[in-house]
Amino acid sequence: MIRFASVDIGSGGSVSCARCSSEQQEPSYRPVDDILADARQVCDTWGVGTGPNIVLAGAEPFAHPDLPRIVLGVVEAGCVRLAVDTDAVGLRSAANATGALVAGLRHVRFTLLAGTEGVHDALGGAPGSFDATRVGIRSFRAAADAQGLDVSVTALVPVCRHNANDLPASVATAVECGADRVELRVTDGGMELTAAAPWITAACDTGVVNGVWVEVEGVPFCLLPGYDLHLADAVRSRDGSKQPACGECALDPVCGGASAGASTDQLATLSPPVFAEKLAPQVARARATEVR
Amino acid sequence: MERPLRCVLLALNSPGYRSLALGYLRAYAKQDPALAGRAAFETLDLDTDMDTWWAAWRVLGLEPDVLGISVTCWNARSVYEICRIVYAVRPECAIVLGGPEVGPIAADVLEAHPEVSVVVRGEGEVTFAALLAELARGGKAWRVDGIALRKGDEIVTTPDRALVANLDDLPSPYLTGVLQPVDGGSYLETYRGCPHRCAYCFEGKGYGRIRSFSDARVVAEIDAVASAPGVRSFSFIDPVFNLTDARLRKMAEWMSPHTARGVRLHTIEVDIERIDAEAASLLRTAGVASVETGPQTVGAAALAACDRPFDAVRFSEGVRALRAVGISCECDLIVGLPGDSAYDFLAGLRFCFDLDPGKVQSSTLHVLPGTGLWERSVEYGLEFDREPPHEIIATPDVGFRDLRRAEVLASSLQAVYRARV
Repeated sequence: MIRFASVDIGSGGSVSCARCSSEQQEPSYRPVDDILADARQVCDTWGVGTGPNIVLAGAEPFAHPDLPRIVLGVVEAGCVRLAVDTDAVGLRSAANATGALVAGLRHVRFTLLAGTEGVHDALGGAPGSFDATRVGIRSFRAAADAQGLDVSVTALVPVCRHNANDLPASVATAVECGADRVELRVTDGGMELTAAAPWITAACDTGVVNGVWVEVEGVPFCLLPGYDLHLADAVRSRDGSKQPACGECALDPVCGGASAGASTDQLATLSPPVFAEKLAPQVARARATEVR
Repeated sequence: MERPLRCVLLALNSPGYRSLALGYLRAYAKQDPALAGRAAFETLDLDTDMDTWWAAWRVLGLEPDVLGISVTCWNARSVYEICRIVYAVRPECAIVLGGPEVGPIAADVLEAHPEVSVVVRGEGEVTFAALLAELARGGKAWRVDGIALRKGDEIVTTPDRALVANLDDLPSPYLTGVLQPVDGGSYLETYRGCPHRCAYCFEGKGYGRIRSFSDARVVAEIDAVASAPGVRSFSFIDPVFNLTDARLRKMAEWMSPHTARGVRLHTIEVDIERIDAEAASLLRTAGVASVETGPQTVGAAALAACDRPFDAVRFSEGVRALRAVGISCECDLIVGLPGDSAYDFLAGLRFCFDLDPGKVQSSTLHVLPGTGLWERSVEYGLEFDREPPHEIIATPDVGFRDLRRAEVLASSLQAVYRARV
């Protein structure tokens, strides 16, 4: 609904599940001028909707030697909302957090692999990273409060077979850190979505009762009956993997399908017509109101 | 000589604000010849977040004979707690309630709250003064029009009181010194009534037609508040600031000397679909820094159920006209209106965010006593909390869980929207 355009500042080194992929790519960074050229392009061609809004992604921004120059340049280009994808470790320093805020950073999106220290650190292959991230986010929040600035914090939770049963705890941890919202992104194409669905719905409920919105990406409507609002912006605005079974489903026009690479066998076992019947009124309204 | 009746007037306000309603009550009663020397007043303007036991402590410390309280849906629960405590300690004190939360359901309030003596129905100034006069002379309160009260074991509703024909008959709380202007927390009222009849809103209900204070009175109040030491901003409580083009021009003219000194108006309510470049310019001349407006919903079914017009094109043009002259606009939405699904509400959010008005605010429907939705709640199938603030629980179009989800989603999106460079 409030979109952000992604500008890569580099690649590699992002927080991800080491058990899903053991290849650890060393981070590399793009030249500042190239990054700012992309940012200016985004701002100059923004179009409708509040913005321009940019998220600096692709590699850890606080490890970039020229981050202050990048932030300054993006703001000067006319960016209204500036976000970073980060592990938040660089924000542990109050001076860093304050400096980033003063420069114009208002949105932080941090990756959480699990809701407990042991699982997060083990999956990320970085002992101590769980605590470091939490401290960093709290430091950012505290600095924003001290400056009297409105900020937004999002926890990104890549969902795979190794952390699915920890999703409610992940949301609880995000809440405790001070996140406004959580994004659950199914990144594991081989994961049993039907088995993960109860954990996903429990995670959504954990967020709602704590006043934090949980958005789910990469799960079709038919797997989360009654939770379609949680799919509203993520599934519908991104292309997923449409399977033959999806064609039978009345939800197909407004459903993005499963995550890319999802098993055809899994989706073939679903019963779309059953869910379609239950959700038909919502589909009709979704179409009528052009939520997509 | 018999001592005067000790009257304590109590309001629980949003922090930083003073109750204009109590100001009117006191200003009118003080000039009423029937009360001269027979009633003494003390006003307690407290905050809604004050502990009710301490509020009762403050009240009881004044040893009132009469406690008058202004009740809204927001403070009603606290008010009832205070009433119970005060009644337990000082049962001889007459507790008189008034305001939009209790007036339309006066008999029900008396039925449910035995500690309450009288409920004033509708416009309160004349009625409250008449009631005090009766009490001061030991008369019969049931002779007073416009109230509901206990008469023995019965609850009696007296005849309606006619509206004040000439609003200038109500002394100004500011010009009489009853109410001291405070920076950011003072409101003025230039008319009563509302041109709209939105079914969720109490504004204008029971008033029938629009009645205005005289130009001279409005000018005098503006000058008094805008020139008060330390006041840099204030607001108007009028439901539609740009009621007519002619009135807007006058307001701009009256405000302009103060605007030139840097005084600003905040969060005034406007009919945004009537704002073009000229109107926006006049608002700027009037010192308007921010306005509050709808659309409340963009769903056709909900708009029809709420008797509310909406023209998306004109609304958008109004927002753009205001933004062009640097006036911040708060677009309000309500979740839970009859006829709206959760997706209709999301469509409203999207509409507002895409306009980039400056601020987007959503609230959950409160089915308020005396409103069209209260009266038609069964017809619309609205499940809502009968206790104040009467929050919607579920509708045929959106269930309990999706209502709560929509609230959280909206709150999250508003946080994202607010966080800008």
